[in-house]
Amino acid sequence: MSVQTTEPTPSPAPVPAEKKANGLLWMAGSYVFSVLAAFVVGAIIIVALGYDPVRAIESILTTSFSTSFGMVETLHKWVPIVLCAYAFAIPLATGKFNIGAEGQLLVGATGGVAMGILLSDLPLLLLLPMVLIAGVLAGAVWAGIAAVLMVKFGVNEILSTVLLNFVSFQLIDYVASHVWPDAGAGHPATVPVGDGARLPGIGGPPPIHLGVVLTLVVCVAVWLWVRRTPSGFEMRAVGANPRASLVHGLRTSRLAGLGIVVGGGIGGLAGAIEVAGVHGKMLEGMQSNFLILGIIVGLMARGSMAAIPVVAFGIAVLEVGASSMQRTAQVPVELVLIVQALILLFLLLSDVVRRRFERRVR
Amino acid sequence: MSQSAPRLAMRGIVKEFGPVRALDHAELEVAPREIHGLLGGNGAGKTTLMNVLYGLYRADAGSIAIDGTEVSIASPKDAIDAGVGMVHQSFLQIDSYTVTENIVLGTKLPGPAWRLDLSDPREQVAELSSRFGLHVDPDAIVEDLPVGVRQRVEILKALYRGVGTLILDEPTTNLTPGEVDELFGSMRTMVDEGLSVILITHKIRETMAACDRMTVMRDGQRIATVRREETDAEALAGIMVGRDLDDGVPEAAVIATGVVEDVEDVAEVVESAEPLRPDPVDSGAVRVEGLRVRNDHGVEAVRGLSLSMGRGEILGVAGVAGNGQVEFAEAIAGVRQPETGHVWIRGTDLVGRPTREWLAAKVAYVPEDRDGDGVLPTMTVAENLVLGSQRSSDIRRAGLIDWKEARQKAAEAIATYSIRANGPNALAGDLSGGNIQRVILARAFAHEPSLLILHNPTRGLDLRSTQFVYEQVHAATAAGCSVLLLSEDLDELVALSDRLVTIYNGEFVGEWARGAVDQVAVGQSMAGVGVER
Amino acid sequence: MNEIAEFVALVLPAMVPFVLAAQGTVLSGRAGVFNVSQEGLMVLGAAVGFLVSYSVGSNAVGVFVAAAVAGLFGLILGVMTTNWRLDQFIVGLALYFAALGLASLLYRVAVGTTLEPPLIPTLESYPIPLLSKIPYLGEMFFDHDLLVYTAFVLSGLLFWFMYRTNAGLRFRACGENPRSADSLGVNVARTRIVASVLGAALVGVAGAYLPMVYTGTFTEGMVAGRGWLVIALAFLGGWRPQYILAGAAFFAGMEVLALRAQVAGVGIPHQFVLMLPYVATLVVMMFAFRWARQPRFLGQNYDRESRLAG
Repeated sequence: MSVQTTEPTPSPAPVPAEKKANGLLWMAGSYVFSVLAAFVVGAIIIVALGYDPVRAIESILTTSFSTSFGMVETLHKWVPIVLCAYAFAIPLATGKFNIGAEGQLLVGATGGVAMGILLSDLPLLLLLPMVLIAGVLAGAVWAGIAAVLMVKFGVNEILSTVLLNFVSFQLIDYVASHVWPDAGAGHPATVPVGDGARLPGIGGPPPIHLGVVLTLVVCVAVWLWVRRTPSGFEMRAVGANPRASLVHGLRTSRLAGLGIVVGGGIGGLAGAIEVAGVHGKMLEGMQSNFLILGIIVGLMARGSMAAIPVVAFGIAVLEVGASSMQRTAQVPVELVLIVQALILLFLLLSDVVRRRFERRVR
Repeated sequence: MSQSAPRLAMRGIVKEFGPVRALDHAELEVAPREIHGLLGGNGAGKTTLMNVLYGLYRADAGSIAIDGTEVSIASPKDAIDAGVGMVHQSFLQIDSYTVTENIVLGTKLPGPAWRLDLSDPREQVAELSSRFGLHVDPDAIVEDLPVGVRQRVEILKALYRGVGTLILDEPTTNLTPGEVDELFGSMRTMVDEGLSVILITHKIRETMAACDRMTVMRDGQRIATVRREETDAEALAGIMVGRDLDDGVPEAAVIATGVVEDVEDVAEVVESAEPLRPDPVDSGAVRVEGLRVRNDHGVEAVRGLSLSMGRGEILGVAGVAGNGQVEFAEAIAGVRQPETGHVWIRGTDLVGRPTREWLAAKVAYVPEDRDGDGVLPTMTVAENLVLGSQRSSDIRRAGLIDWKEARQKAAEAIATYSIRANGPNALAGDLSGGNIQRVILARAFAHEPSLLILHNPTRGLDLRSTQFVYEQVHAATAAGCSVLLLSEDLDELVALSDRLVTIYNGEFVGEWARGAVDQVAVGQSMAGVGVER
Repeated sequence: MNEIAEFVALVLPAMVPFVLAAQGTVLSGRAGVFNVSQEGLMVLGAAVGFLVSYSVGSNAVGVFVAAAVAGLFGLILGVMTTNWRLDQFIVGLALYFAALGLASLLYRVAVGTTLEPPLIPTLESYPIPLLSKIPYLGEMFFDHDLLVYTAFVLSGLLFWFMYRTNAGLRFRACGENPRSADSLGVNVARTRIVASVLGAALVGVAGAYLPMVYTGTFTEGMVAGRGWLVIALAFLGGWRPQYILAGAAFFAGMEVLALRAQVAGVGIPHQFVLMLPYVATLVVMMFAFRWARQPRFLGQNYDRESRLAG
């Protein structure tokens, strides 16, 4: 920062390649460190509770890979986790927090199940797309409520999306116990959808449902949209500086609303895929903890749409491993949620370390 | 240096921000009972040095002594305890508190801890206010007060704490000439009562008018400390920019330092430095009629403005900040919807159309608040340059943005505009203020604008960058662009404008042709003197 | 008249979790720390409060330990955001998950899976001498458990502290303009951390109250979104303790009404009755959100060394 009256020379770019490599190294290092540190703390908790940490961690990490059943289960878990992560991360690109993925998933499932039951006689080629599209639309409309409240009335989107979750719990309870109840289920659930509404399986045994492939397509589409299209660029610009975006002709509140609606649509797709691929009906509790896992994945990916499927796979491995850990080592599954939260916290801390380190070194 | 114990002595101060060394063994010595000017261009380190003194920044090396005793200042609290007060450029006030509440904030108060009793402090504030000629209402809520009065609140804050040394950071930026005189009067009273005052400024004329001694800084170092009687404006300007004026100081240096008082002189400098622009005979390139605009609080800030500009014409708008400039600029940039009125750009009325269409009509806006309104800090230079033209066919292939092409264009802009950045993928937020402004200008000029709105385009820029901005403006007018220049720097306006108007309370109140500008009259007009209300 | 008295007497205890948690949210928010982990902290407070009361046999001890554990989470939030300047929402969300996981883990480890859930005694009521004897009014206001009185007294104290003391003037300055407060020697970091700890502790107490007042048992779903409603309440109350009381009365009233409607059977499916509090909150936010004031620097970290603008 010198102030001289001589003509400035455009500074020669000082080895950006090395800087980039450094950045990648830091990123990889911080992920490794965070996962390790979280597992160390997790192991300490396991020991403190009087269980066997080696056995517990072993079953967490290996279940997905030791049998084909484990791998298929992992991939089936991966689908809603990825989709819920996008439901969170896409609005986050514009700086908005969508904490409503589970509501969007449930309402999407409602939309899908409605098609699957009402039109149960249609053939697969007609019915399945309708189920999936109905799920997307229902999720988008549900999230759209929050978007409208935000754009037109200035209501904080964190609160509106969260409160809509609680509304959706009652809504699906009503649908499962009054509209299409399955009296024999003993638990609020709808009657099954028609065969044409089921996602076909591939490979096996056990077969993987086609939703996995569909989700891969969604991953590519989202990446392309956000990185390469004008509207994706506009969304990221709004997230970077809403005022500057407004001054440069972007319709910022509309874009922020759009982010939430698209996120909701993807959340709704998750619900439809769960209906069509896993349950064959809608039942209470089918949202599992996908909201939380989606947010964790979205935050861990740090704004990178490309990283989401990868991180989500890691989380799916932990989730599948968690239930087997409870069976083999008797450690309650909840431990894994703590470990995941710790990974996130350590990841945040590694940013602090990096910031300090860079300040000192330069 | 005859005083045995200076009021303040700062020695060997070093302060680094990441890779940037903002202070490089800076020195400063201030005598008791003096007004000391701290002079230098942007980035010279004046404000940084004072933030170290006030404990807002922690120095990496160096020592500070007050009245001969070495002190350690790690926080503003330490600075206050050592008798140092500071009035920042952006006021540090709680908008929702009253004047008295703002002033007493952080001090011990009489009475029990469980009961807030402001009656005594209120009296004290009133007393200080009349003693130093700093008139304020102790019970007013500060967000309702005009800028000049809020500045008095800041000064009273320091006086209430019984400071020995008061730092004023560019205090005259938003004041009318009359308010500046009042401020300098109050400063004299303070010195008479035993205080020392440090005046941070880049305006030589001000230091010559108000200071007893001045220290000139450059590149984070002290270059010289001189007495007023022993120097003159030209010599100071030479020290500031680092060479003699005879070498041919660029236009910007002359203007920004305010050395040239005479209008004709400025005009000469400009005209000799630049080829003559085409005559603005082709009137009607931009026409505004009956424009009324409300501000964010719903108050009418622009009250019926009309104007007409020719191709290649530069229209200067002079005014004290907060008289409707932002709303006016935003309205004719298509960012803010006016209540009523028309804006014709080359024959088309664009009022009521979305901002995109204004951009398409080649209206380019360089906003005053470049960090807030101009730049995407977490995105790359290439992405910043694309903003606003992301839907243009130039950079799209099959519907998708062609980033390779965009990066190529960014690399060209980086070369053309001498942007100091690590290539098109550098993050805009990592650039310095001057380079961010170059990015914003590059974006604005890339549209080949027919109307360019510049709001305080050189504020906070160093001389070199200022010079650069002026060159770009001249290049644009040569290509037929009409330029609306809103600025608080009167010298800049006089130097660049073909026509100068003054804005007061949302209305144009005076107009001068080039070469016929009477600075005193302009100043009075800006302050609303002679305006019937 | 009798029915009104009975209704009010039910609403007051139902207000307690809202009042305590919302005042906790306001307390940290006015200093600038926006805690979004409320829902998790309430669940954690409920689990810890329940388990400690169960094993020690004292509800009071349960309340204190719940406050301490939630306060610890507040400390982590405070340090991570003020000292290390990490994003308040993201840290808050991470803590929300950690608290949820910890609550379930503790309960599972301590109780295991049994068909017969353990019970703790619910809080006794302490009628205030003389006042509780007033007809109607006594029943409505002066015949409750200690935490009811505490919640109201605390709200009053919080109001007095914020608006009627010099310390409160400094405290609010940290949320309105931390740079200004800092430049005048107010210790912004310490104020924010203390506010975060105390605020979270109050949220923990609010959670602990839930198993102690109604059923005497703990279930994971018992908080049922109250932690989020409380954040809405803080916004709607303009982050001012005096308005929080009115808002809490509204929320608690809805809750009691929904419960009664469900019991009485009003002809519509009970699912729609149970939706009511959430839907009503959404509707109220539609009209109230724009004008409600909030601290200027709510949720924004303060970095003294970030270069000053201008």
